[in-house]
Amino acid sequence: MHKLAITALAVFTTSAMAAEEAVITGNVESKCVINTDVNGVYGNPTAGTLSTLPADGGVMPIIRYDVALGDSYTARLTAPNSFSTSPTLTDVVNWTAEVEVSEVSDTAMADYETDKVEYEYTTEFDMHTAGTTWFKVTSKAEYGYGKTYPAGQYRAIVLAECIAN
Amino acid sequence: MKKMFYQTLAAVLATTTFASAVKAHEMLPTYPRLKPAYVDDVMQVQMRMFNKRQDVEWYEIGVFDEDMNPVPFVTGYRILKVKYLSHVTFDVYVRKSDAKRTAYICSQSKLRRDKREGTVIASRICSKFREPRL
Repeated sequence: MHKLAITALAVFTTSAMAAEEAVITGNVESKCVINTDVNGVYGNPTAGTLSTLPADGGVMPIIRYDVALGDSYTARLTAPNSFSTSPTLTDVVNWTAEVEVSEVSDTAMADYETDKVEYEYTTEFDMHTAGTTWFKVTSKAEYGYGKTYPAGQYRAIVLAECIAN
Repeated sequence: MKKMFYQTLAAVLATTTFASAVKAHEMLPTYPRLKPAYVDDVMQVQMRMFNKRQDVEWYEIGVFDEDMNPVPFVTGYRILKVKYLSHVTFDVYVRKSDAKRTAYICSQSKLRRDKREGTVIASRICSKFREPRL
């Protein structure tokens, strides 16, 4: 009787163990991943200036692009040219911006910075090599002519795009 | 023993720091292909999206021609909710007459108005329909 019970238990245990086997599947394909490593912060070095430069007390936004296949994507980064959130401003804001390659994972990416195409507030990079590239964005907003920003919350949006070629 | 403890601690800290720092947006396939839908004169494509951005829950879908002009399309929801660390598969339908000028399908993160100051990053990924599109 005991032998029968043990045999039955062994059969059930074996089948239960078999059912627990898990299969992990995955596939690798061409892709571009945009990672927002650091959201920037505006420093306020003078009453009428907001800047992401570390020298001005700001933090530069850092965006990482992971590209799994070279010659397949164009990275396009657009720096802010308006605030998405701010108190009411009665004068113009003068925006300046710069998008630069911060780091690269492959020496073949050395020409990304020199070959970049800039127009208005947008900068394009031809992602010709697979790997990781970090971009940093400098954004500076000066209020009127020597005017003082009203107190409040200021927020601006950097647009990071990855477009298949 | 002490060395092993510190090595393990360093590995754990590195993993958790890296994991908490990851904020990414991805959409696949990069080169989709339109196929006939179950409705006459309508083409469809299936896309997948993965959200690793903890600060973003909503993504807007758009279909565009070569010059980034919008192309009419239909999908279940134009703005999709993609929870953090989750995959979403969605179908996009375009008219057969528009299929030849359809060049890009894009997803763009929708940012919430909140208390954060400074700059925030909107991410946009565009897949491309290569020839032959049909």
